[in-house]
Amino acid sequence: MLDFINPYYLQIGSFILINILLAVSVYVPLSSGQLSLGSAGFMGIGAYTSALLTINFDLPIFLGVLAGACLAGILGIIVGLPSLRLTGVYLAIATLGLGEVIRVIFVNWESLTRGSIGLTGVPQIGRELLNLVRGFGFEPSMIGLKNNQFVFLLVFILLFLIVLATIWFVVRQQNSRVGRSFSSIQMDEKAAESMGINIMYFKVLSFAQGAFLAGLAGALFAHVMGYISPSDFSYHRAVEILIFTVFGGSEVIIGSVFGAIFLTLMPELLRFVSEYRYIIYGIMLVILMAVRPQGILDIHLLGRFKGIKRSKGGMR
Amino acid sequence: MLLEQLINGITLGSIYAIVALGFTLVFGVLGIINMAHGEIFMVGAFVGVMTTGVLGWPLWLAFAASIVVTSILGYLLERMTLRPLRGKKGVSHLAPLISTIGVSILLENLSHHIFGAGNKPFRTEFAEISIEIGQVTVYIVQIVIFAISIILMIGLSIWLSKTKAGKALRATAENLETASILGVDTKKIITLTVIIASAMGGIAGILVGMAFNSVSPQMGLAIGLKGLAIIILGGMGNVKGAMVGGLLLGLSETFLVAYGDSGYRDAIAFIMIILILLLRPQGIFGSKMAEGR
Repeated sequence: MLDFINPYYLQIGSFILINILLAVSVYVPLSSGQLSLGSAGFMGIGAYTSALLTINFDLPIFLGVLAGACLAGILGIIVGLPSLRLTGVYLAIATLGLGEVIRVIFVNWESLTRGSIGLTGVPQIGRELLNLVRGFGFEPSMIGLKNNQFVFLLVFILLFLIVLATIWFVVRQQNSRVGRSFSSIQMDEKAAESMGINIMYFKVLSFAQGAFLAGLAGALFAHVMGYISPSDFSYHRAVEILIFTVFGGSEVIIGSVFGAIFLTLMPELLRFVSEYRYIIYGIMLVILMAVRPQGILDIHLLGRFKGIKRSKGGMR
Repeated sequence: MLLEQLINGITLGSIYAIVALGFTLVFGVLGIINMAHGEIFMVGAFVGVMTTGVLGWPLWLAFAASIVVTSILGYLLERMTLRPLRGKKGVSHLAPLISTIGVSILLENLSHHIFGAGNKPFRTEFAEISIEIGQVTVYIVQIVIFAISIILMIGLSIWLSKTKAGKALRATAENLETASILGVDTKKIITLTVIIASAMGGIAGILVGMAFNSVSPQMGLAIGLKGLAIIILGGMGNVKGAMVGGLLLGLSETFLVAYGDSGYRDAIAFIMIILILLLRPQGIFGSKMAEGR
């Protein structure tokens, strides 16, 4: 019964949701004109912080995740402040460098991180949740689910709620004074400054928000996977995250969401040509940039959608 | 010991410098970062391995083959990925970055597919020959690498400053529109730039193969990232900066491995650029901060 709740699909679903968080973590700094390639590094900080706290100090997962995200956010502020001097590609390479430095530290600080072997036995969110509901006297079999089905389902639902809350927050923020400040800084920094917008505050704010989200996603990743190693947070990951956002359309948040969903699913769908899938992936990126450099979704396209179904208030 | 490390450092540094020159040329003229440069370099190295190892060609022919292959790659890169994006309305500075990342993913996985994942040895007839000067051992390979790098750098400098094409290239780098008004065929110059940069990548690939005696599909990324770090260090689009930055990085890496913690070797480049970006964002030789593109 209820066989359609397939752990494999739910697992992919969970990865999609984590990737959406990561894509949004690039989108937010980008909405104030800052291209950050440090998400993989911040993600690593979040993952390792949460994993180490829960393994070594038996901290509840919830607190560990929060601590991981906050530490990443704080690091974002520390890095964001001096990075104000940098723009465009300079910032991109500096943040890329930051991510690499963080990864190398993970590899070399063996007494704490166990080096390139990575951390195993990170407490898993699903099992914790299962114990929690069992504490209330609830058994998965009561609704006709197997244990592992139920666990994956719970994780998926939890991540879904977190992603929903994040997107809700970002959209709300976008339509507020803060969001308008972000986009005015993106359009023209000097003009924004002369209009009385505190550039330093808002740029650091958006950068730190991105770092926080990446840290959050990293911490969740650690507790979903149960195993992390420095190679999870390498250059490849940073590029992958950037591509989610740019592929989907970096002007609108729904673009990041779409990019994360599509590009996480695609390698799975291309499994039948698995040997060639990254080759196809590369070609696809080149073609997309030549045909539609602003990404799949942009404001005009969404506007057209909105025109068709006027009754539904679309997301901006 | 010290002198030997110095020689090792200079050898490594001069290879880094050539890689960085490829980045710096493209950035100087087009204002974009060619993320595929590292992979073009890797393809050049594989051409070297295949021609010397499998076909048994002499080294100079391997160089020629590598230059030809990487030049073709450079031309294709410009024609298929960079040109479609140029002069198009509403193209952000992200587009060429992503597009070249696409090419790098393609090339890395393609060579993974063709050559396999492991390291390939790079055999040259004089790999093990060394000469002793006092207590210092110098390998012939190191001298060859150093000589080729110096010739390349001097050649490029002379070409850029003295020849007509070099002047046209610099004019295009200065201002594309003005150069084209003044009669420079900017389209041709841009294509030429990407081709030269790629060919230098190919040469650097063979040099690295000779220096480390191993070539793998993943090497493009590692060296490519270091090349990026070097052009930041030396100043974007600055030829002299790329050379000095390369030597600086090569020396500091070698000395760290010799006298410090070798685990942090790959982080040095980035610690250096984070420092330089905070202290002097325009790089060592950069004149002023370029507009962020």
